[in-house]
Amino acid sequence: MELVAFVDQLRLKFPGKEGLLFKDLSVSFSRGEKVLLLGPSGCGKSTLLQVLCGLIPHSVDIPMKAKHIQVPDNWGYVFQDPDSQFCMPFADEEIAFALENIRVPREQMDDRICELLQMVGLSIQPHTNIHELSGGMKQRLALASVLALEPDVLFLDEPTAMIDEEGTAEIWKTVKQIAHDKTVIVVEHKIEHVLDFVDRIILFNESGDMIADGDAASIFQTYKSVIASQGIWYPGVWEDYRKKRRNEQPASASDHEIIYLKEMKGYRKKEAKIHIDQASVCEGEWIAVTGKNGAGKSTLLHALMKLIPTEGTYELYGKQLQKTKQIARHMAFVFQNPEFQFVTHSVWEEMAYSLRLEKRTEEEISRKVEQLLAAFHLEKQRDQHPYQLSMGQKRRLSVAASIIGGQKVFLLDEPTFGQDAKNTFALLELLESYREQGATIMMVTHDEQIVQHFATRRWTIAEGKLVHDEPIIRKTTADEELGKEDASHEMEYKLS
Amino acid sequence: MRWNISYRETWLHRTNPSLKLLVMLALFVAVLFVHNPNVLMNFSLGFLLLFFLYTGYPLKYLLLFFVPFFVIFVSTASSMTMFGEGTTTWFQWGLVHVTKESFLRGMHLGFRALSFALLGLLFSLTTRPVYLFYSLMQQLKLKPKYAYSFLAGIRLLPIMLEEFQTVRNALKVRGADAERGLNTKLKRYAIPLLSQSIRRAQRIAVAMEAKRFSNQTNRTFYYQIGFSKYDVIFLLIIIGITALACYTGIVLPYIPVTDVR
Repeated sequence: MELVAFVDQLRLKFPGKEGLLFKDLSVSFSRGEKVLLLGPSGCGKSTLLQVLCGLIPHSVDIPMKAKHIQVPDNWGYVFQDPDSQFCMPFADEEIAFALENIRVPREQMDDRICELLQMVGLSIQPHTNIHELSGGMKQRLALASVLALEPDVLFLDEPTAMIDEEGTAEIWKTVKQIAHDKTVIVVEHKIEHVLDFVDRIILFNESGDMIADGDAASIFQTYKSVIASQGIWYPGVWEDYRKKRRNEQPASASDHEIIYLKEMKGYRKKEAKIHIDQASVCEGEWIAVTGKNGAGKSTLLHALMKLIPTEGTYELYGKQLQKTKQIARHMAFVFQNPEFQFVTHSVWEEMAYSLRLEKRTEEEISRKVEQLLAAFHLEKQRDQHPYQLSMGQKRRLSVAASIIGGQKVFLLDEPTFGQDAKNTFALLELLESYREQGATIMMVTHDEQIVQHFATRRWTIAEGKLVHDEPIIRKTTADEELGKEDASHEMEYKLS
Repeated sequence: MRWNISYRETWLHRTNPSLKLLVMLALFVAVLFVHNPNVLMNFSLGFLLLFFLYTGYPLKYLLLFFVPFFVIFVSTASSMTMFGEGTTTWFQWGLVHVTKESFLRGMHLGFRALSFALLGLLFSLTTRPVYLFYSLMQQLKLKPKYAYSFLAGIRLLPIMLEEFQTVRNALKVRGADAERGLNTKLKRYAIPLLSQSIRRAQRIAVAMEAKRFSNQTNRTFYYQIGFSKYDVIFLLIIIGITALACYTGIVLPYIPVTDVR
């Protein structure tokens, strides 16, 4: 087999970090292979991709050394963040940028652009503002502009990490259609989408050592427990989780009503973007707010927090509150991107912040913070800057810092977004433990499994209206015994 | 959150952006050396007409854009009028001392500020940044490196605006908006916004290089920007307005003062 890319005895070191990330790593790829790189976050998979295509050290200055290295002649690279890989404002201009770089004559550009958009299944006008596209569409546009370079080798660096379930499925469908004759090297955490596509898996451990390399199916079978312990979303992860979590209590909620809405409307730019005819929330409920992108789920949470103007009846503990500040005493709000919520320079201070504002005593603050640091597994990070934490730690900190004031109602906007399996379960369990102590949770989510396993009620939002309000019938242990059929059925649900 | 105002394309939009930029810059400098208030008034009037008739935006928006600059006109003119020096006193009240000379100088300064504003507005309202930078690369041989970095930067602005909104909401929820002090406030916003932008800029740079962007100068261009009959029209009209302003200002003055210095 002809090799398209290889590296022999790679050594690489991140500035400011101790020790080598890779120590004499050798790996090679043949033409037409579809390879999945797996490993816990921070093990250097993305770095390896960048070395293999020459971005390191050419564009990103990281000291490295290799005995031999071969970079493919024609390659394309799709990055993780859909908002930071475009330099032009319109879709056609972005693709044209790539075409210009490889000096395609002007006369051929229009046809090429249409052709590429069609190839990735984007049925938009070529001159569409990129800002108007959804995350999944942006990533497919990124793919189109990379395909404009006519690459033989495609590097995909977690292209779906910041994309919802629907977008993820679309992206992988597209990749499968266009990449059959190309070499594809993928880093991906949601592996259920790629298992039927890749034919080789390379597995890394935390310190960047290769622990397995071989045929996809056999690696997945042999190393399943390793993969599971790394927090990767593998097929059947929920099934395994449910088996492990034996002491699942039937969801219980009181009938003590704490939120009451009637003819409530929330406005953005003087336009009613959310309308609730009538609804109420009882203490101890876990409400999953679901619906399509742009349906108005986040708007609903913003309205409940009074971050946008509202009209109609909205009672919290029987009172109509007007100000965000008053509401924040009872309700905690966790935003999608935790970084925007951080206001201090250390984890400890971040937790203490709200308490300081309320002028609690130092003694009380210290006691509460320590208690939550332990509950949220952040004790070792207490002195770190919030920005230096890992994805999972940042998320936990943002939740902990939001709820430390003793609020009894939690609003969460897709808190498990972009989190690996391990962190997702850890967070959900924490929330569940609070719920068992009487907290009420309203959470926007796209993940059907979370709805089925944790929520007590589902609100479906469509076009700015609450269209369904239904209780979730939790599967009892007896159902679980009934077997596999059920679980595989659920699996399909998630894949579709 | 975006500016999405539809407009009609006029000959001003079709003029070559580099030519337009150079002409506007030249006029900018020229206005500095005009000392005859009659000429300057005519000049401002001419460009005011261009602004209202040929930028192609609905009147509502034109007025909205014009308001801040009108405020500048009034404030510049009035402060010079009321506090400037002069010999022929018209009105005096405490510190306020209006003289004939200070009034004329005030008006002159006001019209100068207005001319600058109109030149800037005319240019920015009728020029898409993408065309400007393509034209700069093609006509003025600007290095692609700079042109595309600017364009990437422009793309970040609406994203930053959205993030600003998010940070504001987040601070509100955490009660951090009640904190006093400009310094603390600035820090609360600047740190998350800047750290996001710096990271984003670095990622975009790598993504651009991953798309084979390099310093080579012989690239092809998606937008071929050249010269057309609109550039002739543009030059003729600008020269026409300027000449007419000078001529009428000198031959048919409104006020018998030709130099305010």
